[in-house]
Amino acid sequence: MEALGITLQQLLTQLVSFLILFFLLYKLAYGPIMGMLDSRAQKIKESLEAAETARLEAASSAERVEAEIAQARVEGQKIVAEARDAASKLREQEQDRAREEVETMLERARTEIGREKDSAVEEVRKEFANLAITAAERIVERSLDAKSHSSLIDKVLEEGLSERKN
Amino acid sequence: MGKLLSSPKLLVIAIAAVAALLVSVAGGALGASFGLGFLGGPIPFISIPAERVAFIGSYPLLNSTIMFWVGGLVLLFVAWRAGRNVKDVPSGWQNLMEMIYEFFSNTVDGVAGGEPKSGRRFLALVSTIFLVVMIINWVGILPGVGSIGRIETIEEWVHHHVEDLEAEVHEEHPDYSPKQVHSIALIHLLEEHGDDTFVAFDGVFVWLGQGEQARVPLRHIVTFEDHELHDLADEVKHGEDISHDPVWERIEHDIHEGVVKEVFTYDLGGPSQTPYDFKGQTAGLLVPYLRGASTDVNTTLAIAIVAMLTVQIWGFRALGVRGYGGKFLVNPISQGPIATFVGVLEGFGELTRTISFTFRLFGNMFAGEILLIAMAFLLPLIGIIPFMGLELFVGVIQAYIFAMLTLVFGVMAVASHGDHDSHAEEH
Repeated sequence: MEALGITLQQLLTQLVSFLILFFLLYKLAYGPIMGMLDSRAQKIKESLEAAETARLEAASSAERVEAEIAQARVEGQKIVAEARDAASKLREQEQDRAREEVETMLERARTEIGREKDSAVEEVRKEFANLAITAAERIVERSLDAKSHSSLIDKVLEEGLSERKN
Repeated sequence: MGKLLSSPKLLVIAIAAVAALLVSVAGGALGASFGLGFLGGPIPFISIPAERVAFIGSYPLLNSTIMFWVGGLVLLFVAWRAGRNVKDVPSGWQNLMEMIYEFFSNTVDGVAGGEPKSGRRFLALVSTIFLVVMIINWVGILPGVGSIGRIETIEEWVHHHVEDLEAEVHEEHPDYSPKQVHSIALIHLLEEHGDDTFVAFDGVFVWLGQGEQARVPLRHIVTFEDHELHDLADEVKHGEDISHDPVWERIEHDIHEGVVKEVFTYDLGGPSQTPYDFKGQTAGLLVPYLRGASTDVNTTLAIAIVAMLTVQIWGFRALGVRGYGGKFLVNPISQGPIATFVGVLEGFGELTRTISFTFRLFGNMFAGEILLIAMAFLLPLIGIIPFMGLELFVGVIQAYIFAMLTLVFGVMAVASHGDHDSHAEEH
């Protein structure tokens, strides 16, 4: 012990010095740094959690927007389809009505033509009766052979035709 | 080589380096053999105990204690700068301290089982041991530490040693008067240390050039014959007053004067050398003002005691008095005598760990100090440069070893003894 220089006095000096140093280091550095590191770890954990929440929120809102867009698209398609249906129905109605009108007009024209024809035929018939009567009068007035008979009819017809022409 | 020649700067540096090497070889111990050795200094007296440089009251202040406090102040300064205003975004000193702290935080957790914070109880002591040991190792190799000092005269040297011896003599012979005690102590000192050597120096300047060889044994400074000392001791033991004995008076006078009395020559070797005569020169010891704290056994023993006591405290707190004490005191009847013997061995193991802690650090750092002294002696100027780097490395490695062993012993202490035993009991 003597040769190594170990003395109780010096041993205690170094022991106490070391313990004081330990205590002061703890107070000055370890304590503050330990507390700061813990609080920093806590902060990092919190911000990671907040970021995760924000990410989830963003994802869910994007989903919602997409769903809304899809719904709007479906609705739009429905509206277009409805409009197309209505338009085609309207067109059909218009066509039907136009066809009906045409038919009505045709019908009316046909009726008119028929009536005109009837009246014309009536008139012709009347005329022919008159002519026949006239022809008969003439025949009666004269004795007639067969030949003169037919020439007489032709003459009457010619007269009648020329009269009509005039 | 071509690069060296083409660059004048490199060439100048190379020439300067070669010149420095030549100067240091010629000026050092090698050159001294050929009459050069102009840069040589005396190898300081390598004393294992730290030297006292002053007294504060009756408290002897050792040079190693001063360096312990210097290192402590450096450490406290860094800690204060790092910890006075901790911020979440670290800068400067805080970065450094945080880096060290996180490194040890991860290490202790890793050694203590890998769970985060599982090693936190070890953290403060382990990192303190590392920082303190590293800083005292590093400040201990600063230039000037161990090499700047004063010459302790023979009178001072004798005074300190006689004081220590007086206590021993007083214990052995409580019936002696103080004067008798003093005389016997002085006689013992001369008998034991007659062949100790001292540096001879001329006036205030240490005689340079011969290094360790320039040493004069105590017998040539304080002249005495062994039989004279025997006679004096006998006279003192019989209660005679020897203060006017001519031999005693001569011894006291020689001690007071402290110069080389007898012709003491030393053949320096070499063809042109004449033996050097030290007669009439003052002799003494170089006492460095500063000495690395880890080159003092008191320091390393103190840290080892703190470490091993704390390890025991960890053990008792983790396992309880019965659990931890049961590691060392095993019942020979229920567990068998071999287990008891093993337990006693484990107890001795704690003691030997303390001792191995002490001398591992002390031995490494003291050897480093001697290595630096030897290199400064062999190759002055440049010899110590690579070894300074080596010592910085050794300083941090030893600090790391000390801290890690403390951690490992702590982890072993808190681990319950023989986990397989408790499992066997459960099944």
